[in-house]
Amino acid sequence: MRIPRRFILVLFGVGLGLLLALALSMAIGGSKVGRPGAVETGVATFTKHHLTVGNRAAKNPLAYSPENLQAGKEAFGHYCVACHGLDGQNTGVPFADKMSPPLPLLTSPEVQSYTDGQLKWVIDNGIWPSGMPASKDTLSDDDQWAIVLYLRHLPPAGSLGEPEMYTH
Amino acid sequence: MKLKSLFVVCLFASASLFLSHEVGAQAAPQKIQIIAERFDFAPGEVTVKKGVPVTIVLTSKDVPHGVKFKDFNVVLDVKKGETKEVTFTPDKAGTFVGQCSVFCGSGHGAMKLTLHVTE
Repeated sequence: MRIPRRFILVLFGVGLGLLLALALSMAIGGSKVGRPGAVETGVATFTKHHLTVGNRAAKNPLAYSPENLQAGKEAFGHYCVACHGLDGQNTGVPFADKMSPPLPLLTSPEVQSYTDGQLKWVIDNGIWPSGMPASKDTLSDDDQWAIVLYLRHLPPAGSLGEPEMYTH
Repeated sequence: MKLKSLFVVCLFASASLFLSHEVGAQAAPQKIQIIAERFDFAPGEVTVKKGVPVTIVLTSKDVPHGVKFKDFNVVLDVKKGETKEVTFTPDKAGTFVGQCSVFCGSGHGAMKLTLHVTE
């Protein structure tokens, strides 16, 4: 099937327009980190939840038990606390609201509305656009599923204090 | 009467010899030395027999490591420079992947030990 020349030109024009808009916004605002607007947040959240974050149907193989929850808390403590705090609610994290997008509370509907499989996917692969890194090869599958369990049972905000690295 | 007693003694002696051999064969575990160092187990794959006890002797050369085989409910943690062992009997055949059980750094998630259990 032959693609009409006109369609290619329109596509090229739209792409060029987007690039120019990006360049213009960077020229006006610079490369400074800023709080994203409501439209950007809405589009990004919808895209992540419905299009780009996979593994939606996967179920957590770890059932709830005090041991599995403790394993999740421990794994979270090794890898996640530097950004999310001990409680997953950014307690004591000095840059939590200075990132773009700001670090979400892991108890928030934005995070909790992911399925268990999607949360595992995010831990494994990281998530763009955000500062969340991939933990593939750093955390085992078991560690990641245990963290998902912990995310579903986070303690009250502030109840665990601040990460040690920020208290000196 | 004397002959009968001798026969009974011989019978007991043979039976105990046979039993001790059997028990000895079962009790002799397959001993496997594993070195854990920098996100790797050496050797990374081992083959053992189903139903025969296995002793894993684990030594860590750098930081705390461990090995966990969920399928056999086995966990063994070691500190830096330490050697510890665990004995278990694999009750099913197949290939099982053990994982480092102590968070040890950026390669922790990829630190695996494969156990082949043959019939």
